[in-house]
Amino acid sequence: MIQPFTPEPIRYVAEDGTPVQPLPARYTPELLRELHRLMLQAREFDRKLITLLRQGRTTFYAQSSGMEATQVGLARSIRVGHDWVWPYYRDHTLGLAMGVPMFELISQCLGTNSDTCRGRQMPHHFAAQAQNFVSISSSIASQVPPAAGNAMAQKYLGVDEITVCTFGDGATSEGDWHAGLNMAGAAQAPALFVCENNQWAISTSIREQTASETIHIKAKAYGMPGYYVDGNDIVAVMEVMTAVAEGVRAGQGPALVECLTYRVGSHSNADADAEKHYRTREEVEEWLGRDPITRVEKLLEKLGHPVSAEERAELIARTHREVDEQVLRAEATGQPDWRIIFEDVYADVPDHLRQQEAFLRAEQGGGRA
Amino acid sequence: MTATQDRQEKSAVSGKRTINLIQAVTEAIAEEMERDSRVVLFGEDVGARGGVFMATAGLQERFGKQRVFDTPLSEASIVGAAVGMAVRGLRPIAEIQFADYMGPGFDQIISQAAKIRYRSAGQFTAPMVIRTPSGGGVKGGHHHSQSPESYYTHTPGLKVVMPSTPYDAKGLLKAALRGEDPVIYFEPKRLYRAAKGEVPDHDYVVKLGEAAVRREGTDLSLIGYGGVMPDLEKAADALGAEGVSVEVIDLRSLVPWDRDRVLSSVQKTGRAVLVSEAPRISNFMGEVAYVIQEQAFDFLTAPVGQVAGFDTPYPYVQDKVYLPGPNRIVAACVQALNY
Repeated sequence: MIQPFTPEPIRYVAEDGTPVQPLPARYTPELLRELHRLMLQAREFDRKLITLLRQGRTTFYAQSSGMEATQVGLARSIRVGHDWVWPYYRDHTLGLAMGVPMFELISQCLGTNSDTCRGRQMPHHFAAQAQNFVSISSSIASQVPPAAGNAMAQKYLGVDEITVCTFGDGATSEGDWHAGLNMAGAAQAPALFVCENNQWAISTSIREQTASETIHIKAKAYGMPGYYVDGNDIVAVMEVMTAVAEGVRAGQGPALVECLTYRVGSHSNADADAEKHYRTREEVEEWLGRDPITRVEKLLEKLGHPVSAEERAELIARTHREVDEQVLRAEATGQPDWRIIFEDVYADVPDHLRQQEAFLRAEQGGGRA
Repeated sequence: MTATQDRQEKSAVSGKRTINLIQAVTEAIAEEMERDSRVVLFGEDVGARGGVFMATAGLQERFGKQRVFDTPLSEASIVGAAVGMAVRGLRPIAEIQFADYMGPGFDQIISQAAKIRYRSAGQFTAPMVIRTPSGGGVKGGHHHSQSPESYYTHTPGLKVVMPSTPYDAKGLLKAALRGEDPVIYFEPKRLYRAAKGEVPDHDYVVKLGEAAVRREGTDLSLIGYGGVMPDLEKAADALGAEGVSVEVIDLRSLVPWDRDRVLSSVQKTGRAVLVSEAPRISNFMGEVAYVIQEQAFDFLTAPVGQVAGFDTPYPYVQDKVYLPGPNRIVAACVQALNY
């Protein structure tokens, strides 16, 4: 039984890899290695995408390095393609772990013809229908009331799906966040709200963000349980998320989980020199010491199933190769042509858009056949 | 037996009935809920109370609390929840108690409802209707009288309609609910009970994007929508008494709007006066005026006239003076006729 409103984050594994409470039986070395692989892959995906950014092949990227346990743990706690997810813009690791093909993620970041969103959004704003991974919006917390509505629809339809809604700590200051949680609480809708508290909203610290001691205690105001989890401990994240998700699925009403984690990189390429301006190297170093990937490596070592240096290097090399291959494959599809401007505004193209389309056709000389 | 059922029984004989605009709204909702179990209705006080204007009276009793329910007092929640429900496959009708209160839901309308189809290339869509009473003439002060339609006509991805007759109110709402796009459906509150008219007993829709010619004429095209339409009729009557033949057009839909109908009328009459009660700067009718001068300049014998609200917040005490009544409309027409 997982307890809500604990004063300290729930954790299973200490920074040095020592279990602080008995590991549930499902955490076999095989599972732990698989989780490790997913997290390392996401970390290297970040590294490669930053390179693409520096090469000018994409224009925006928001790293999730340091937050892998939160996102992978969440992904592994829900029924992918059955449950619905309203994510925020730092959730590519969540997407990858949910099985969104790397090719799709890269295509979206590059705005190529293979982008399922047809180059309509800035990079790093995915949507994946097969996984019920709903289109990401940049406006902060605007996904929260729709997630409440999505969950209300699930309740109305009588299906055993749940809705997962993620956000950063900054989002909890927005009116939409409070409106959405209040609505879900009042409707007793099957919604799982997940705060990926990485402690910085661009350059605003959590202490400047709110006078509230933690985020999860705000759940009390909306009549739902709030859980506090060490977001860098993948076992803790999976244990809490799985239990809470199943409670939500069983009709116990919505819940809020706060995963305490840290974004070790910058907010985006827009503030690549974060440490110069708004946080200290010491703080970053401290959190690097709590790194979710090395924590699992240390745990596996203690369990007698260490990840060898060769294995690790091979996994990294494989991820780099895969990213390189998918980038070339995506780039080979070219860019969507000008017609994408007018399609999908409405279900059908209305006359006034047809006229504007005709104008652009004349200017651009035909477009695709 | 509910009042609606009673009317329906009587209609079996006559084939059509006379009802008012708010009854038309109620009937449209009830019939669509009957037709499609995906249609749900919610907002502040829409349930047991039946809405502050009683537009949803009796619907909770008839369809149950699962489908007709009161929400927290939060426009962001109401609109946002509608988006999420629509994405998950329902056909939500969200009532916002007054159009003036849509501010807290504005981000949900423009960032989520209007954009989700485009940004996901149709992987996720939000077919939904936001119904809201709008416009002045009911002594409501500025938070119960504004005409904010131009905020929404300016946002691609939204459809915007405003009926002025019971027939249109019913047919447009049904069409909106059967469509695949988010629709902002403004209800001119001063016509709720003032506008009476016939509706057929059989099922029908009024396609979005088609204007209605309320009367044909040859000297001037008088074009409006929503709450001002009775004033256009009065102005046309007054001018008709002086021997001026006025064509009266009700746009009904603002996005999309019926350019062809407007342009063919202006090509015939050579003069246009556009009327709306919203403030003048960035008024939607400015777009209509632009298209007329762009597409029918050679046919014009006078500059396009515009009668609008003033660029002030809506006043409580001088409510009737603020609104563009028949006298102001006649004056604008005379100016165009004497140009």
